[in-house]
Amino acid sequence: MLGKRTIKGRIGFAFAVVMLVCFSLLPFAQILSTSLKHQFDWGNPSLIPQALNLNAYKELLGLTEVKKVEIPVAIQKILDNPKLPQDKKDAIAAKYVANDNLFPFGKYMLNSIMFSVGAAFISLIFAVMGAYAISRLRFKGQVVIQRSVLFVYMVGGVLLMVPLYQMAMNIGLASTMWGSVVCLFLIYIVQTLPVGMYMLGNYFRGIPFALEEAAMMDGCSRTEAIIKVVLPLSLPMLATVFIYCFIIGWNEYLFASVFLKQYPEFHTLPLALQELFVSKNAIWDRIMAASMLTLAPIVVCFLFASRFMKGGKTDGGVKG
Amino acid sequence: MSPLERAEANFAWKLVLPTIAVLSLLILYPLLYNIYLSFFDVQLNGDKAFVGLGNYTKLLANPDYYSAIGTTALYLLGTVVGTTLLGLAMALLLKDPFPGRGLVNAAIMLPYVAPVISVVFGWQFLFDPISGVFNYLMVDVLHIWTERVNLIGDPDSALGVVILFDIWKHAPIAYMLILSKLVSIPRDQYEAASIDGYGPVGRFFHVTLPELHFVLATVILLRLIWNLNRFEDVYLLAPNVQTLPIFTYYQAFTGVIDQGLAAATSVIQLGVLCVFIWFYIKKVMKW
Repeated sequence: MLGKRTIKGRIGFAFAVVMLVCFSLLPFAQILSTSLKHQFDWGNPSLIPQALNLNAYKELLGLTEVKKVEIPVAIQKILDNPKLPQDKKDAIAAKYVANDNLFPFGKYMLNSIMFSVGAAFISLIFAVMGAYAISRLRFKGQVVIQRSVLFVYMVGGVLLMVPLYQMAMNIGLASTMWGSVVCLFLIYIVQTLPVGMYMLGNYFRGIPFALEEAAMMDGCSRTEAIIKVVLPLSLPMLATVFIYCFIIGWNEYLFASVFLKQYPEFHTLPLALQELFVSKNAIWDRIMAASMLTLAPIVVCFLFASRFMKGGKTDGGVKG
Repeated sequence: MSPLERAEANFAWKLVLPTIAVLSLLILYPLLYNIYLSFFDVQLNGDKAFVGLGNYTKLLANPDYYSAIGTTALYLLGTVVGTTLLGLAMALLLKDPFPGRGLVNAAIMLPYVAPVISVVFGWQFLFDPISGVFNYLMVDVLHIWTERVNLIGDPDSALGVVILFDIWKHAPIAYMLILSKLVSIPRDQYEAASIDGYGPVGRFFHVTLPELHFVLATVILLRLIWNLNRFEDVYLLAPNVQTLPIFTYYQAFTGVIDQGLAAATSVIQLGVLCVFIWFYIKKVMKW
């Protein structure tokens, strides 16, 4: 729009772009900056810390030294008893390890990885099968299924939280810890499956059918043709869909809070961070460092995926 | 139907069956079950008592429900208009290649992919009454306000922050959708308009805008569909802004729990959502 041939136009253009980038990145800069500041520095509007403070990161990543707690003599005697099995000794000793790590970040991160990677993987398998059928094969009911998938894709989680919770309650899953974990896992699969199918369906349609046909003439079955021809050709898109599903799971808060709130050992990062924020242990630098570490994997994934998103970049740009 | 066609159809059904099974069980069935639940008084532990239309009459007599509808309407209006306009402006600005465009693109896409839980803390800090930059600007630098204000603490002003946050987060998608259409407008249309004597502004209104008509409608419709049920962005940034999803969440899981009432709220909301989705499938879908 701006005439880029004149000097004035160029300066105006550059200014507008810089403003836009600043607007987009300012909250990220604020998170990074506050995570590195000491408390006395928080009120300082400058983004550059006066003195670097890495304590929050060290604490979250477990790099601070574990404080030794003195074990009472009586307990030490029990521990020295050779007749006691080793696992019982460990169990007793564990009670006397310093418990000042208020926020076991690593555990939450593992939980998040488990839920989002697992769900994304299964979702991808189903999505490949479904998307291939819908985009490549002819059968009755195809259009209905296509439209239903699009419909369920757009139904928000808020509309499902009560019935899903009640269903889980009725069959007894929501009242046990592992049941709740299974529920959440299944929910993450259905939350990501429609978008995966939608993206892959559009992509498969762009692969020339002649390639599969050639493979089938050479004696491959249809399944073999899919595995040997279609999937290798779709590798970049498969990676993109996987990352996309992974991001959805990683960022999810609503269902995690409905199903896992009373099971702290399975809290995912969004849930854990929110609980930390409303707790008395909320300190800005710790929260910001945790935010930064939650953000980092997503940024890496995104930069990786965006290399593949040149071609069909609007395919994934629908959800959200 | 020839045997070959039948074999193809069989194969297709085998492939879609797992998907149909999980989606029916965990989305379609719950939606129907939700309608059933809306006629019951439902306890958190699963106990139910039939109350007929009781939940609906209770809901329609609840002033908080209407205030939630009002908040949602404002939220939708602000975010739809803001996101579309900013997305359009971004697309027009960044349409032509320039050095570093890839980096700029990555930077402006970041808000969209970043976890909500992380970025809300950045926003909360920016608007923090004690340490936040925004208050510093308004009070100490520009002297517009005489004292520091807790913008997120007050539900009315928090709605404004939430709208701004949503625009920040979702303008990138609007930008991508609009850009992909914008770059496909043939150059000769602009040349023809130039010959007809239109300046840059005239070309925008006579060539660009009519061409973007369809994609702009798509963007608006998608924003309505997603934002009607948006929970996390609002709840995590400012839990005191009660749009309908947050209203429903509070009914269902906090304080005086009334899951039947929450179910009734969701049923009404689903009805509205279906209208939007019907429009989308009818007018926009390109499967």
